Amino acid sequence: MDNRVVMHLDMNSFFASVEQSYNPDLKGKPIVVTGSQQRTVILTASYEARKFGVKTGMMLYEAKRLCPEVIMVPADNRKYTHTSAQIMKMMLDYTPLVEVFSIDEAFLDVTHSLSIFNSAENISYLLKARIKHQFDITCSIGIAPNKLLAKLASEMMKPDGLTIITPDKVSSTLEHMPIKELCGIGKKMERHLNMMSIYTCGDLGRCDEGRLKRKFGIIGSRLKQMGQGIDDSPVIPAEDAEEVKSVGHSMTLKRDISSRNEILRYLLQLSEMVGRRARRYGVAGKTVHLTIRYADFSTFGKQETLSCHVNQSDDIYQGAIKILDSIELEQPVRLLGVRITNLCYQREQLPLFEEERRKAFMINAMDTVNDRFGDFTVTYGSLLGNNEEKGSHVISPAWKPEGIRNVQCV
Amino acid sequence: MERIKEQIRIATIFTPGRLIKPVWFDWHNRKHTILETTYHWKEQTGAATLLHFSVTDGEALYDLVYNTLNQSWLLNGIEVK
Repeated sequence: MDNRVVMHLDMNSFFASVEQSYNPDLKGKPIVVTGSQQRTVILTASYEARKFGVKTGMMLYEAKRLCPEVIMVPADNRKYTHTSAQIMKMMLDYTPLVEVFSIDEAFLDVTHSLSIFNSAENISYLLKARIKHQFDITCSIGIAPNKLLAKLASEMMKPDGLTIITPDKVSSTLEHMPIKELCGIGKKMERHLNMMSIYTCGDLGRCDEGRLKRKFGIIGSRLKQMGQGIDDSPVIPAEDAEEVKSVGHSMTLKRDISSRNEILRYLLQLSEMVGRRARRYGVAGKTVHLTIRYADFSTFGKQETLSCHVNQSDDIYQGAIKILDSIELEQPVRLLGVRITNLCYQREQLPLFEEERRKAFMINAMDTVNDRFGDFTVTYGSLLGNNEEKGSHVISPAWKPEGIRNVQCV
Repeated sequence: MERIKEQIRIATIFTPGRLIKPVWFDWHNRKHTILETTYHWKEQTGAATLLHFSVTDGEALYDLVYNTLNQSWLLNGIEVK
């Protein structure tokens, strides 16, 4: 597996770059992309804003404090998904082995394309030039013998970088590299490893495997391999990817709410979003999950397994209400999330009874209208009178060009 | 990107510090003035070192290649927006 040539492409501050590309007035200015205007965190900051210390995940007032002239741009999913899909399509010109890692990242296995394009560097520059030409967006690319190292390489030079880690440079690159730079080592794992006097990838690669296994169990071996830059995981194109296990949406509310009626309205909206996506892709779930985040950011979830698989918004909604009624809310609610799991695919059966059949036809008609004219063009009466914009305002990093994915609505 | 692979007439400036700056090129009886070179990189093919220049005339993206061995310029590919 060591003779592979894997590329990792990471679009630089993607949402902000797309906004700057669509609106030249924003070029060269500090901008941040946000979800709903008042309460959300920053999703992406342009490089001009990053110079002031503005970062992803910051609250809006923090960004304003650091950079008073920062321009806030509400997120526009359609622009991002369209641009991302076009860029992912470009990648397929160089290899069929493209694994979309998120809306702005992808892995390409170009091992077998080198006889046509000569080198991975050649492919990288051609891709970079095409992306810049078509969308005026820059990207950072890492080239390495595997996915772990390619991702590490792409992070090493930003923005607009190209970093190559050849097999003979793996050890020297990793020797002094902080462990937190490895994809898969988060803050918690870093803390645990630091407590074992492991600070760099070199330290991790030399650590006794038994010691790591005793501390972390089965992943101890994997950690040692990561420290050595070993990763055999293949680049998996979409058609070979595993089927998703859940469909869900969550939403940070514009203000904290306690009223049951208000919560129900949001739950209906979320259930409709989940139901629509599930129906679009022909899946139904047997378990409904409700996630609640309180004003103090503490979060909890509860699930309910139903007697049959459902994908009609009303059934999902009823499941969510049942869960809501079984809990006592401790504080005002900041975020709500609805998810269905325990999925079955290709479920399409016309109901036997007239009333249910009419309901199925009605939902089908609603979906058709909403597909053509946009989400929530035809919706439930109880969602009317809510002047807030409905639907998905922000796309999750888990987005893929095709198929169902969990989308978070911030 | 559409493959062209045609030799072209081109004007370039060789600046001090061994930098090469393509300025314009003729293709299909039309003079294309280069507004920007977005990327340039090297490719080794046998004994030849190929210098790639991705350039734009404001309309399309062109991949121009300078073969240092036989000192010829090639329009390698084109992509229109």
